[in-house]
Amino acid sequence: MKIAKKLLLQLLLTFLSIILISGLPELIMNKNASAYFEKVKAVFIEMLSLHEMTYLNQGIKRPFLEDIWEPYFYSLTILFGALFIAFCFAQVLTWGTLMLPNFLRKIIKNILTFLESLPDLLVFALVQMGIVLIYKKTGVLGSNVASLGAEDRIYIVPITCLMLLPFVYFYKMMILMTEEEMGKQYVETSLAKGMKRLYVLIFHVTRNTSEGIFHFSKSVLWFMISNLLLVEIIFNIHGITHYMYHDFRPEMLAACLIFLVIPFFLIFAFFEWTIIRYSKRSEAL
Amino acid sequence: MASLIFAFFFDSTIRQVQILYDDDMNMIGAAPFNPSLMFPMGTDALGYDTTMKVLQGAKFTLISVIAIGLLRVCTAFLFAIPLAMYTPDRLRKNLEQLLSSFYFVPLTIVAVFILTPVLWEQLRMPGWEEYFLYSYKARIGIEILVLTLLVVPLLGSLIANLIVSSLKEDFIEGAKVLGASKWRVFSKHIMPHVLPKLVIVFCQQCVQVLVIFIHLGYFKLFFGGTDVDYNPYEADPPLSTTNEWSGLIGDYYNLLHANPAIALGPIFMFGICIYAFQLMAEGFQHHLDTRNVMGMKRSKIKQDDFAERARINMKFEFLSKRGDYIDKNFY
Repeated sequence: MKIAKKLLLQLLLTFLSIILISGLPELIMNKNASAYFEKVKAVFIEMLSLHEMTYLNQGIKRPFLEDIWEPYFYSLTILFGALFIAFCFAQVLTWGTLMLPNFLRKIIKNILTFLESLPDLLVFALVQMGIVLIYKKTGVLGSNVASLGAEDRIYIVPITCLMLLPFVYFYKMMILMTEEEMGKQYVETSLAKGMKRLYVLIFHVTRNTSEGIFHFSKSVLWFMISNLLLVEIIFNIHGITHYMYHDFRPEMLAACLIFLVIPFFLIFAFFEWTIIRYSKRSEAL
Repeated sequence: MASLIFAFFFDSTIRQVQILYDDDMNMIGAAPFNPSLMFPMGTDALGYDTTMKVLQGAKFTLISVIAIGLLRVCTAFLFAIPLAMYTPDRLRKNLEQLLSSFYFVPLTIVAVFILTPVLWEQLRMPGWEEYFLYSYKARIGIEILVLTLLVVPLLGSLIANLIVSSLKEDFIEGAKVLGASKWRVFSKHIMPHVLPKLVIVFCQQCVQVLVIFIHLGYFKLFFGGTDVDYNPYEADPPLSTTNEWSGLIGDYYNLLHANPAIALGPIFMFGICIYAFQLMAEGFQHHLDTRNVMGMKRSKIKQDDFAERARINMKFEFLSKRGDYIDKNFY
């Protein structure tokens, strides 16, 4: 119960900070603090009556809530798909990597450091160019490189683009954490008992690294939401950030950000709750 | 080692800029990296040499990145000191929870949102006058300020955690028992431990700032202001006022399919910089890990290796079959 209260408070504070930030351009434009507070108040009232909010679509006023659901779920599919795939690939490859000898692992880590420093825009550009190149050479169009309009939906390319860098981040982090964990005594004990290395890796070590990975995944997500905006604009995808970018009003930004934040918040709250329960139980034992 | 590479790289970048100012064209001697990487950048649509532009812009970008990185770390550090030293544990944990709400506010989107009115050249209707809301210096100041302040909460709690974790070490207890004041504990015991870690944090922050610059560049918000041409007939594309790198990205990204070399050139430069910062952080980390165990480290690793190999290669056998085993039950 105490945890729930804390999480609720955190959610409210997140909303509050989003609303406060969304008023900032007003402050900068008018150089006047009272205008800023007026704006914040206006946004706040707007947020409370979200169902009445309207936006301009090709010159026509349309209700916001009616139109937002589809692109919203589309964006969420891309984002979560990318996150999930990146995570799974990284986990499986980590297990594979940890079975390799030491010098190969060192090489892999160096390569990962290099890949980590690729700017995201470069990755997107290379993916885009790669598809075009393959098409030119072989005539096989792997997937559309850009969505044509609101009705047209592409999944493969944006998910690939979004997952590549988080995959590298996860992979490197997992290798580092697992290697640290492998040096601990319980691993040696279990290996000495004759357990298979892979078994120890999957069932004991992974469970112990999962908490650290969870905290790390927060910052990966932080980075992915920013990337979502870029991907949606580059590939002309009509997702939620499309609405955000094309109607750049404070109310719109606040509403879209709040919409984006809610599912993440719930998922993190759920995981945190599980971890707390899990660790408490182990303490009691 | 890695930091040396970076220093060399950075130093030579400045030198190239100076050469550029002299109108002296022999850059091949000065460029430390592969010339084949430097020259096929070609020229842009208006006929400017992209290589020159990149070189000219380098100082703005790199200096501002380092400035923002430093400011971020310093501000966050100042913010972290009271949080770690003078706040009771419970309150600090709660505060941390609150600060972590910033995890859900994506920086690029917010930065684009806030900086648009500052950096985008506006149009005053009567008279078709193009103007900026702020002067050149104020624009740079506001951009640095916004990019700094947005991360201070997260970074502050991160650094506070660093300080707290070194506060919990045993020698702090010892110092307190011996009568050290808070200030003494802080300056003599905490600082030497936290300062090297701050260097690593600083490198990571620089990488982050570079990434944000790329994003801002893609949205055509350039460091120091975007020069928008409101000519209704033949508008030039938005121009960077200083030729710095994010401006180059914004200018050239649309040429990606026409001529990839032009578009990718500035992005590659960003990539090299990020890699350099990352290597710097890693090299420094490596130095920290091994500085106290010089010479010993290598033999220790070898020993570990040997033990590992022995364990794997040795066949399992019952101890009782070995000659030196004495079974107590036997007697």
